[in-house]
Amino acid sequence: MEGTVLRPGSYDDDRFDRSKRIPWLDMEALSDSRVLVVGAGALGNEVVKNLALSGVGDITIVDMDHVVLSNLNRCLFFRGHDAQQKGMKAQLVADGAKDLFPECRLTPWVGRVEDMPFPWPGFQVVLGCLDNVMARLHVNAHSYHHAVPYVDGGTDGFRGKVQVVLPPDGPCLQCGMNGSHQRILEKRFSCTGSDVSFFMPKMAAEITTTSVIAAIQVREALKILSQRPDMCIRNVLFYDGERGESMVLEMEKSEGCQNHPIM
Amino acid sequence: MGIRLKVKNAEMGKELTLELSPDETIEDVINSAAEYWNKDSGAYIIRRGKQILKGGMKISELGILNDDVVELIPDPEGG
Repeated sequence: MEGTVLRPGSYDDDRFDRSKRIPWLDMEALSDSRVLVVGAGALGNEVVKNLALSGVGDITIVDMDHVVLSNLNRCLFFRGHDAQQKGMKAQLVADGAKDLFPECRLTPWVGRVEDMPFPWPGFQVVLGCLDNVMARLHVNAHSYHHAVPYVDGGTDGFRGKVQVVLPPDGPCLQCGMNGSHQRILEKRFSCTGSDVSFFMPKMAAEITTTSVIAAIQVREALKILSQRPDMCIRNVLFYDGERGESMVLEMEKSEGCQNHPIM
Repeated sequence: MGIRLKVKNAEMGKELTLELSPDETIEDVINSAAEYWNKDSGAYIIRRGKQILKGGMKISELGILNDDVVELIPDPEGG
């Protein structure tokens, strides 16, 4: 007997059948990919959920913090008892994502990204789900230095942004920063040394903007992992949820940026 | 005689006209506009058209004409 033999309904037996219908999405590459997610707060929850459902094979999650009750308006994987028990965010997000996609290898790392023991070159893409400029600069510098693409997300109320950094040619996060970013750093850090304490103002945050920004972050990561960086946002997408608008803005490498001095 | 630059507030939709000398920078534009509108401490960028302007760029380097419009946009840093 020649030709393909089909059983009615067999397409529904494949978890990723519908994903495979997207021509450019390389499901084999996603399955073989190692992805680093820095930050397991609101964006981190949504980003890891999206990565796991998309079929990414290996996700490392870094966060030093524990759950508090005020996280629960926007974090899929946290529950009230996690706040009471001061559960660690990285562990809880890893456990939740494992439940969604058991074949995914999930590695939680509870600690500061600065102390992370995993080698950066081992990752195909880094997703930043952070809440401060200092940590962003650290992740940006290491990703750029090791030529690992970096997709940074940020939110404030109904506003958000996604920046895609594609080394070695593209501008990095630091290239787009100015004195107003520097002032946030100076304001937050009240002392320096091994035990740095800093003031962290509370920002408005809710789930719909978090979901939008995390979805765009992961979509950009899927393009990178599928070897389609030509489809990526260049360079920053700004989202205004109150008006229902978004725009993509371009930027250039900065001559003063230490991550890639221009000769 | 300075160059008049219109700065639009992306959050409020309002507009401000700044008179700038050629040596002043985009940082100066951000500071003046944020102060005028009593903005919270936070990060901001300035765009002209589809381009994010570098903070250190001087007005003289930008080829700005009188009454050109730029926009002040908050740069969200929460996660």
